[in-house]
Amino acid sequence: MSTQAFFHALQNSSLGSGIGTLNPLFGALAQLFHIAGFLLILTAILLVNLRLFGVGLRNQSVPQLVKATNPLILYGLGFLALSGLFILLPSADIYYANPAFWTKALLLSLALIVQFTLYRKVTASESPNRILAYVTASLSLVLWFGVAFAGRAIGFV
Amino acid sequence: MSVNDFLTLLYDSQLGTSLRESLYIFPAVEGIHLIGLALSVGLILFTDLRLVGLFLKDVPVEDVLKQLRPWLLGGFAVTFITGILLVWAEGLKIYQISVFPIKLLLIAFGGLNAIWFEFKYGRTVSEWGSKAEFPKGAKVAGWLSLVSWSAVIICGRLIPYLDARSL
Repeated sequence: MSTQAFFHALQNSSLGSGIGTLNPLFGALAQLFHIAGFLLILTAILLVNLRLFGVGLRNQSVPQLVKATNPLILYGLGFLALSGLFILLPSADIYYANPAFWTKALLLSLALIVQFTLYRKVTASESPNRILAYVTASLSLVLWFGVAFAGRAIGFV
Repeated sequence: MSVNDFLTLLYDSQLGTSLRESLYIFPAVEGIHLIGLALSVGLILFTDLRLVGLFLKDVPVEDVLKQLRPWLLGGFAVTFITGILLVWAEGLKIYQISVFPIKLLLIAFGGLNAIWFEFKYGRTVSEWGSKAEFPKGAKVAGWLSLVSWSAVIICGRLIPYLDARSL
């Protein structure tokens, strides 16, 4: 099955077509959950990455901030995944044809890889290597903000 | 001059027209307006959550207020400037969407609440920040800020959504 056929099948699945027939109010609610998740993740990651650069909440240790922000990131990911599927499924064919969607998917994959490897490793240390901290923070910020930027671009392409 | 006349003037101006018709600059301005929220509204919401005792409880509130202030204000500058550019280009259209005037009122309320907090409590945070119980007014300001800025985001997100649906 090609990717295109897969997306077509998603849209025509009982879940995809079922969501498509719901009151548009649910669509608006999904958009609101999507932006709530976006704010939770981006601001939480920003707080930790600023600290990796040695600015922002610099009186606190990196692991202390990670401990406080990790639940927000997980809630954010949950909100984004569920609302994202809700938005994607009934219009999968349109998203398949949109290059900005694929840019977002690529950036999101890279952001998640960095999140669960480099970011997790570097932020576990009380005093991470400065160069490694800078590289991690730059990568994480560029990728996550890139995901949001590409996400907004979907509506323009 | 009515609001409509003023927005028409902006809409028809050279800046308004070229912004609106640009292939990349307009989407870029909108994108920056959106991601700038992580610094402006995102950081203010995190500060509010600290104030009401739901986040970073083991970090002194004075640390949160002082260390995040420049980032938060920088974020608001970005969000505000890009917001003005968006109104310049599309204000005439956006003004017709009912949630837009509500969003402006909520921003004014959130801003006034922040200024009131700053003058009443922000300057004396070193006196009350280390106490077990914060002044009631400071907590109320935190809750009001949480609610009003969340409502701003909700209205803001509904603008392109309602705009697209009315096409």
